[in-house]
Amino acid sequence: MASDYLLELTDIEAGYGRAALVLRGLTVQVPPAQIVCLVGPNGAGKSTVLKVASGMLVPRSGRIVVDGADVTGKGPQQLLRAGLSHVLQGHSVFKEMTVGENVNLGAFSVRDPRHVAERLDFVKSLFPLVADRWDALAGALSGGQQKQVEFARSLMVDPKVVLLDEPSMGLDPKATAIIFEQVVRMRDAGTAVLLVEQNARRALESADVGLVLDLGRVHISGPARQLLDDPKLGELYLGGRPRTSATERQPS
Amino acid sequence: MRNASDTATTSASGSPTVVRVIRGVQVLAVVAAAIGVLVFPQTGPGPFIMSVGVVILSYACMATGWNFVGGFTGYISLGHAAFTGLGGYLVGLLILRADVPSWIALVLAAVIVAVLSIPIGFASLRVRGASFVIMSLALVLIMLLIFQSWSDVTGGSNGLRVPRPFGPEVLRPEQHERFYYLHVLLLVIMLVAWWAIDRSRFGAGLKAIREDEDKAQSLGIPTFGYKLSVYVISAFFTALAGGLYALWFGFLDPIFQFSILTGSYMVLMSLLGGIRSLFGPALGAAIVGYAIEFFKAQYGDTQFHLVALGLLLGLVVLFMPEGILPSLGRLLDRLRPSATSIREESAEELANKRAVLVGDNGGAS
Ligand SMILES: Nc1ncnc2c1ncn2[C@@H]1O[C@H](COP(=O)(O)OP(=O)(O)O)[C@@H](O)[C@H]1O
Ligand SMILES: [Mg+2]
Repeated sequence: MASDYLLELTDIEAGYGRAALVLRGLTVQVPPAQIVCLVGPNGAGKSTVLKVASGMLVPRSGRIVVDGADVTGKGPQQLLRAGLSHVLQGHSVFKEMTVGENVNLGAFSVRDPRHVAERLDFVKSLFPLVADRWDALAGALSGGQQKQVEFARSLMVDPKVVLLDEPSMGLDPKATAIIFEQVVRMRDAGTAVLLVEQNARRALESADVGLVLDLGRVHISGPARQLLDDPKLGELYLGGRPRTSATERQPS
Repeated sequence: MRNASDTATTSASGSPTVVRVIRGVQVLAVVAAAIGVLVFPQTGPGPFIMSVGVVILSYACMATGWNFVGGFTGYISLGHAAFTGLGGYLVGLLILRADVPSWIALVLAAVIVAVLSIPIGFASLRVRGASFVIMSLALVLIMLLIFQSWSDVTGGSNGLRVPRPFGPEVLRPEQHERFYYLHVLLLVIMLVAWWAIDRSRFGAGLKAIREDEDKAQSLGIPTFGYKLSVYVISAFFTALAGGLYALWFGFLDPIFQFSILTGSYMVLMSLLGGIRSLFGPALGAAIVGYAIEFFKAQYGDTQFHLVALGLLLGLVVLFMPEGILPSLGRLLDRLRPSATSIREESAEELANKRAVLVGDNGGAS
């Protein structure tokens, strides 16, 4: 392995069309089996970071390296194969399909049926809900349960890094607690996670490394606990009161 | 991809007996319908009613063929009459101009149509929604113009007489009966193919496309290749239906072969029955086909039945957007005792999990 990190975004500059740049020299590194949490206000460019990492948005400059291999400029399918699995913001299960069909779709790019069966066993043990509700329509599940199905689907490719975009969005506190526990379980099972959250305080409580995104760059980084304990930081970025994220709409 | 043992062991919702009863009712309905269709000619219906039976079965084949692309991808093609018409004309031309035996001509024509549909699909499947519908309409109109004006080959507006596959010793009622069963055979083949795709990995990818094409792509599904493949399959089967009809009816006129009305019938029938269900289009064809023939018999060749069908389409879209079969299914689902109940994790379970997690990683959470 050429590097200590599974995912490295270096000096990324990215934006949409002719509009001003959203990311201006951003650097993010994700070490193995850790939860790296990127926090920042609404519109700071958190989703944009993940879109760059999964190939949905090609950066204007900068480098993307996955497990030592340079994948800059590659598209979503290639980055999926390289080991990056993206769970989009908002609800993205296929509501009219069963939980089983949803999860199996996650393994679409995997050719070897034995490998698929292995992953299925793993995913079912990690998310018992998936096995319990295998034949139920995904749209009939609660929001938190749908997120779990999405997590399970994203793990089917045996990704090196899972990219999670605001998994707690629109969930009540109880469901949020379950979802963050699931993220921790994913990490404990050996998957690195790049987590993006507006619900900063709650997310940092579950994370290993914290990063604060502001004005297109990472301003502060450090162990998540340290960020949480920093009073000045709390006041500036973590907000005394929770923001209402449920009303935010997903771009594009 | 669906794992048989998984579906067997995890009874997701409802008590097993109720689920079994509902399954039983469904199987019974299909068996009853199948027996009804098979014995109908033996009940001595007379040549006219038999011919209505053949027409309705032909509609069922066309609608089911249409539903390969409509049902799996959600792309609504109003132009599938281009494929039935081409299928019919090619069968006639192969027999008349190249002396190909009738049944070989039938299959060969469908293969040619499938090949021709590749560039057509390539061009039209790039656009979604209204643009796709308009392109499909344009296709029928182009075909109509070609077959009307290229009269040296196609017979133009005078039409084309297609030789019957059975000799003159086979009388009219016997002809009807044979074609009736041939249409049943074709319909069964199509239903088996649709069913097989529905259960396959290919089908899962297609249904993902139907729900959200971008999302499907992000999971690594080759969306364009899949759409094109199922479009070609649909063209092949629809052309077979058109060809079989031509062999039975024995006469082709461009106005009727390449008619936007025919394409609209396929859409209406499929929507009415339900495009997501295997038997939906065939059921819709039985209802709409019967209505068309009834109006024609009662009121002659007026445009009255068009108005009635337009109204019917409006009602379906407004009140039963998913079609008859899914609506019936939903009604049955209500009988299931706990169909909608969602397993919530109890506080105890949560506490247990939390304890496990904290124990595992020294209080990171
Ligand atoms: N598809 C898009 N086209 C144009 N601008 C976009 C698009 N998506 C996001 N943006 C803009 O980029 C900025 C960052 O958006 P985003 O990454 O979604 O922020 P966050 O996820 O932190 O809320 C916002 O100003 C937003 O308006
Ligand atoms: Mg966002």
